[in-house]
Amino acid sequence: MKGNGIQGISGAVRWLLQAVSGLLLIVLLGVHMIANHYIAAGGLRTYEEVVAYLSHPVVLAWEVIFLIIVTFHAVLGVRSVLYDLGLSPGTQRRLDRLVGLVGIGAVLYGLWLLWAIT
Amino acid sequence: MLQETRVLHPVRRRGWKGWFAVRKRHLGYVAFALNRLTGLGLVLYLIIHLVVLSLLARGPETWDAFIELAKSPAFLLLDVILLAGILFHGLNGLRVILVGLGIGVHRHKELFWGLMLLAAILLIFGAWGFLVV
Repeated sequence: MKGNGIQGISGAVRWLLQAVSGLLLIVLLGVHMIANHYIAAGGLRTYEEVVAYLSHPVVLAWEVIFLIIVTFHAVLGVRSVLYDLGLSPGTQRRLDRLVGLVGIGAVLYGLWLLWAIT
Repeated sequence: MLQETRVLHPVRRRGWKGWFAVRKRHLGYVAFALNRLTGLGLVLYLIIHLVVLSLLARGPETWDAFIELAKSPAFLLLDVILLAGILFHGLNGLRVILVGLGIGVHRHKELFWGLMLLAAILLIFGAWGFLVV
């Protein structure tokens, strides 16, 4: 029986969502790594440099999209791993709610952090 | 479509212990297990990374003190391990997507080793970059 939320989505669609988010991450994470660890002098940004870096609207939008996509990919991946433990349908539903809340919480936390330092 | 999923189903049916069922030493089994282990490692890193970034909210002194610490050789070694995990997970994930879409199904082993060679090359350049930047 199909449930609501992520359980209501077929396995093929979940696979596709994980694949698309994974492909996006290759680009998003690639640029994030190069910008923050290779272009930045010393490989890491000081507080002043972080604020200056995030002051550019395109950079800020990039980091927000990266935050959302990486959280989505991580949450869906962890869910998949935990499902392999052979969970009961009730536990699966509770897990879906939990990982959903953790994902939303992580994104909100990241957005708050970006707001706090920009 | 989703041919990789069908190939890996026997692993999934055996739960997490199936990850380490390397008795047959099927390349798909090993890649599947490593993909999950690196994935979980990257999730752990993501959590740590988000927590560490909270130091930014405490102001310049706290963040800049951490940055000095993060430039130490021990942290650089962790960065190289992180990069290895990212490269394996990303490039093996690319293989899973291609094979799942029916691309390179009959040459998936060559595809795997080709991408791992690319991962090794990028790791060498990436690690070198960490040291010289």
